[in-house]
Amino acid sequence: MPSSQFWIIFKEKLERVAEIVIAIIIGFIIAGIMMWLGGYDPIAAYIAMFEYSFSLTDPYYLAMTLSFAAPVMLTAITFAVGVRAGLFNIGAEGQLYMGALGAIMVASWSLPGPLYLPLAMIIGSLMGAAWGLIAGVLKVYRGVNEVVSTIMLNWIAFWIVEYARVYVYPNPIDASKTISMPPAGRLPILIKGTELSASFIVSLVFVGIAFYLLWYMVLGYEIRATGLNPSAARYGGINPKKTMLWAFIIGGIAAGLAGVCEIAGRPPSYAITTGLSNLMGLGFDGITVSLLGANHPLGIIPASIFIGALSSGARGMQIVTNVPLEMVKAVQGIIIIALAVPGIVRLIRSKILRREVKVV
Amino acid sequence: MSKVIRGLSSSAYIGIIIIVAIIVGAIAYYAGTMAAPKTVSTTTITQTTTITQTVTVTQTVATTPTTTTTPTQTTSPSPTPTVTVPPNAPKKIAVVYDIGGRGDLSFNDMAYLGASKASKDFGLELVEVQSKTEADYLPNLRSLARSGDYAVIIAVGFLMTDAVKQVADEYPNQLFAIIDGYIPDKPNVLSVLFKEHEGSALVGALAGMVAHYYKCPAVGVVLGMEIPVLYKFEAGYYWGIRYGEEVYKQHTGEDIKPLNILWTYTGAFNDPAKGKTATEAQLAQGACVVYNVAGATGLGIFEAVEEAAKAKGRDMGPPFAIGVDSDQDWIKPGFILASMEKRVDVGVYTAVERALLYYAGKIDKFGGILELGLKEGGVAISKVEDLETFLAIAEQAGKQINKTEIIEKVKKMRSEIPQWIWQEVDKLAETLKTNPDVEVMGLKFSQIEKMIPLDANEIKQIREQLGVPTG
Repeated sequence: MPSSQFWIIFKEKLERVAEIVIAIIIGFIIAGIMMWLGGYDPIAAYIAMFEYSFSLTDPYYLAMTLSFAAPVMLTAITFAVGVRAGLFNIGAEGQLYMGALGAIMVASWSLPGPLYLPLAMIIGSLMGAAWGLIAGVLKVYRGVNEVVSTIMLNWIAFWIVEYARVYVYPNPIDASKTISMPPAGRLPILIKGTELSASFIVSLVFVGIAFYLLWYMVLGYEIRATGLNPSAARYGGINPKKTMLWAFIIGGIAAGLAGVCEIAGRPPSYAITTGLSNLMGLGFDGITVSLLGANHPLGIIPASIFIGALSSGARGMQIVTNVPLEMVKAVQGIIIIALAVPGIVRLIRSKILRREVKVV
Repeated sequence: MSKVIRGLSSSAYIGIIIIVAIIVGAIAYYAGTMAAPKTVSTTTITQTTTITQTVTVTQTVATTPTTTTTPTQTTSPSPTPTVTVPPNAPKKIAVVYDIGGRGDLSFNDMAYLGASKASKDFGLELVEVQSKTEADYLPNLRSLARSGDYAVIIAVGFLMTDAVKQVADEYPNQLFAIIDGYIPDKPNVLSVLFKEHEGSALVGALAGMVAHYYKCPAVGVVLGMEIPVLYKFEAGYYWGIRYGEEVYKQHTGEDIKPLNILWTYTGAFNDPAKGKTATEAQLAQGACVVYNVAGATGLGIFEAVEEAAKAKGRDMGPPFAIGVDSDQDWIKPGFILASMEKRVDVGVYTAVERALLYYAGKIDKFGGILELGLKEGGVAISKVEDLETFLAIAEQAGKQINKTEIIEKVKKMRSEIPQWIWQEVDKLAETLKTNPDVEVMGLKFSQIEKMIPLDANEIKQIREQLGVPTG
């Protein structure tokens, strides 16, 4: 009966939303207790956090939130596509570094103005994809666990890019960063006087493409089938090796693009800064976003805005209630852990389900 | 079967929540206990700063019998505030730290020291904002500037130069100050810079005299990346070394052979291993004082010096290192002769003071370049008394240190070196304040000052004139 089936699906979705809401409330309560023990006013801090991320009177803060959401939205896609293909690809961090390096490489060439941005996007995402493909090839042809290889590749990428920052593309005026993307190659700022650039639109479009690909294209179907059960997929005529490689490539493109967007769309420096301090952590935050968004492209959009709001709201907690950054980070961590719990539980649940099925 | 799974999963769910709650509870308890001593240590810091002033007075009596030292210069920018907050000025000040953040034992901690003193002296509320990543600079500055609540917003560190430039244009009525950054042409931005060449001349003179005292053939300097800012340090240091030699000759009447001056650019500010290798090479060529102009790379210099001394069975130099930026004498007590201090606290305090003067209408232009040298207390050579302040900072950052032991050891090291050498260094400080035309090897100190900012050719010329290998 279709109506009862609809009811079941609806109930399931409702349950998931309820899970997340409960997790958020629990996270905020626990973090609030921590702040209270530290001698700060948690309610005032949360109000400040909200004011500095979704202020109703000042659109600047909403723009800031969206600007922080843009890169993690893309790196979340990297992780989500991996999970859909049955992979645990945590290499977005390194792939993002390589993408940023690609953008700087393009910035160092003398080109006609309009060429900078498209070339940076192409080369950056290709470099990200190539970096992801290393782990992919190792996984598919040599059986190297992708968790190990991607986390190692993250560090290799870090040092390659750091080397390039110091020795290949240093800024002659300011040694703390690389040369900047020339103004012609920068993504336009959407609202004057804010940090929100067109990178948010680029991210949204890419998420849309990823959604279409995963749910409406053959490759997406193959990826999801491989993720659910590689043996069954092979039985159904799918080449799981090929689909896994594609999952790495798509993930790499997403992360590489995030790197390009950080270079071409983040004022004021438009460059890679010392210790890659403007790129660090964006790849790992993507994992959180993906888990929050149930590894679904459409779930990732609100999840990334939530994480962006935590980043911009951190300022409010410092400025209004004098909560030190260390405490703010701890609060963020607790909220994120609480939010990740339902995802982890579901993962465990599916493992148990699989085992039970096998037994039967 | 589905019931079983459901039951299992929900209990797992509850179980995990409980586990997380317990973990978080433990963290919270820990954070709570951490928070308590933290507030205590903040108060100790403020206390020690006030204590240092009194200590300074007694110290001057105890250790230096002559009247050459000026104790107030190194400890506090101005002991009694002469400025009051005008009614039209906002009642808050803000400090934005760079990604180094509080607890770096150097720049940011010193900025806090200056800002908290200013807030106390002038009765202003201090708001601190730290930056998690580079991407936070612009949002931090803009959020503060938007409110219009702040008399002045102080950006600590040259990394924020681009961000300050941009926000200063967007908010022309907001006053900004940037420490160590160069933004010369904005009426609402004060660039606080330091005359590192003056401080370097002092440690150079000390290095020159100490090297001759221990009959060493050479002195050295290990630098970070070859960027024009560091030429200031080089020029001052070389000039100081030759000055020190001159003084040593006059004082002892000995016929001395000029020192070889060694310099190495390591190409990095954060690579202690490179600093160590470079220092070992210089020590092998007979250097017995090595000046650190290399940020965290310098930690390798200290290590190399300590190892070399210990290999000879000494628990003190020679060889010695010279610290930079903050008072680094405590890091390897007994092996660090002195430090060339950049008093960021003085810079921050002065910026606040200047903002208030501007609001009061006593000066008509806030922005521009403010260079702080020996005269203004912006640079200085470290004194034993400064250790109290810096050890308090180190303690607050969570370092386990034995204060009295460190101070005793530094005092002992300093007493190994003849008193007249220390007095000559103080005398040079006084001289440079009043008469920068002192000449050494045909080069007046004021000539170096005029050449700043130095470029690659000019530093070559200075090296040549002072008998340093031109590289």
